Amino acid sequence: MIIFENISKVYPGNFPALENVNLKIHEGEFVSIVGHSGAGKSTLLKMLYAEEQPTSGDVYFSRKNISEFKARELPYHRRNIGTVFQDCKLLPKKTLTENVAFAMEVSEKKTSEIEEAVPQILDITGLGKKFDAYPNEVSGGEQQKAALARALVNRPKVLVADEPTGNLDPISTWDIVQLLLKINEFGTTVILATHDKPIVDKISKRVVVMDKGRVIRDEAHGRYCI
Amino acid sequence: MLCKVTRTFKAGAQNFFRNGWLSIATVGVIVIALFIVNVQIAIMFANNLLLNAVEDRVNISVYVNTDVQEDEVMKLRHEIEQYPEVENIEYISRKQALADFKERSKNNETILKSIEEVGSNPLGAVLNVKAHNPDQYETIASKIDQSSFSEKVSGVNYLKYRDIIDNLNKEIKANQKGAIILAVTLSFIAILITFNSIRTTIYSHRQEIEIMKLIGASNNYIRLPFIWEGVFYGITAAMISVPLTYLYLQFIGNEEVTNSILPLSNARFIKIFLTEYFMKNLVLVVLFQCTFGVFLGVFSSIITIRKHLKA
Repeated sequence: MIIFENISKVYPGNFPALENVNLKIHEGEFVSIVGHSGAGKSTLLKMLYAEEQPTSGDVYFSRKNISEFKARELPYHRRNIGTVFQDCKLLPKKTLTENVAFAMEVSEKKTSEIEEAVPQILDITGLGKKFDAYPNEVSGGEQQKAALARALVNRPKVLVADEPTGNLDPISTWDIVQLLLKINEFGTTVILATHDKPIVDKISKRVVVMDKGRVIRDEAHGRYCI
Repeated sequence: MLCKVTRTFKAGAQNFFRNGWLSIATVGVIVIALFIVNVQIAIMFANNLLLNAVEDRVNISVYVNTDVQEDEVMKLRHEIEQYPEVENIEYISRKQALADFKERSKNNETILKSIEEVGSNPLGAVLNVKAHNPDQYETIASKIDQSSFSEKVSGVNYLKYRDIIDNLNKEIKANQKGAIILAVTLSFIAILITFNSIRTTIYSHRQEIEIMKLIGASNNYIRLPFIWEGVFYGITAAMISVPLTYLYLQFIGNEEVTNSILPLSNARFIKIFLTEYFMKNLVLVVLFQCTFGVFLGVFSSIITIRKHLKA
């Protein structure tokens, strides 16, 4: 489903971020990408939703080469991928409900569909009572749950979570991870970039280890080990 | 499409109301921009009124000798009327001239007595010549001077008032030119300030733009709420600047204030013509303000957002 083929990325100023990365991710997989800060995890994920372009190599999503997409095609491609970040990236002037609904609005979904799906997903993520609060009025864990709800509301094929638990306490962290596992059980491919060792060990699914822009280990039932 | 327009309109309205102080500041800047333009237009308009009024009053009087008969004066009038520069001629007969003179001197007994002592009418007929524009008086005066009937004319008062007319003309024209330069410069500055203010507003939303891109919003979907926001800024600013301009006109309609601020203007003119004109054309004024305000808001939004969408 997702293929990274000979990917290299050099940032301006001759800073290499990725070096000849080859990786295949199948539909329905749960993949943890681990490594130190600066190992190239985020850069690799950014290529999937076309926020970065590789210096050389190709990224394929459902057999389509992402670098060949035209600018106007990118929004449609991004609607297939749910994204969650460490800093949540919620719109501060919108309530949690509006933030989640916004993802459906931009995908030009019908209002009736939005009204049905948004409360459902807020309920699944455990945000039922806080739906009318603004992001700055809820905890970091609740913000992340809202971000997760937004990423999932369009039922994407792939969920990309880039350090989603980086700012959270252990209980909220585990809440989020359980949600990710549940989503994966329903068939969504989940790619989780993290350097949280206990979490990766507990998940016990495929682990890809990166170091200095290279994939140094790829195990089907791996543990966090650098 | 309609769904997109409604949704982005709602988002724009939400941004406008939820941005609080940022919206108030941006609207404030546009109000100042519109008001500056309004004041400049009002000054130019007042100058125009004044120029027209002065031009209306300026004419040259051709004094005909007392021994020239009325039918000859009429021929003379007809000849002067043929000059392309002449707009119209007012004829004042000898009788009328004497009556006017007596009326003007009714408080001066010495003059009235002297006239009675003379017995006959000492005044000749007068032709008040009005030109199409004040520049042409010199030409008319010299044409009369060089004409075949010049010996029938005892005097042309243009020569006497020539310097006054010329100076007034120059002063009004210089004032007008100055007002236009000032209007253009101030309007340009106002536009730049508005542009910069909206740029700052959108810059403060740059993270939101980035988020919108990430969740798959098309460029149009990102752009439209900001454009609607620009429309709201413009309309709100226009709704404030129109009453503000009215108050300003009332303020400069006060004679003491006007005479100190606008030495060439005349409070009565402003009060009567400008305020009346403003009220009569209120719909047009509001429409102009809205259009200009919306143009400022939308244009600045489009230019700024384009930069963020490219990045």
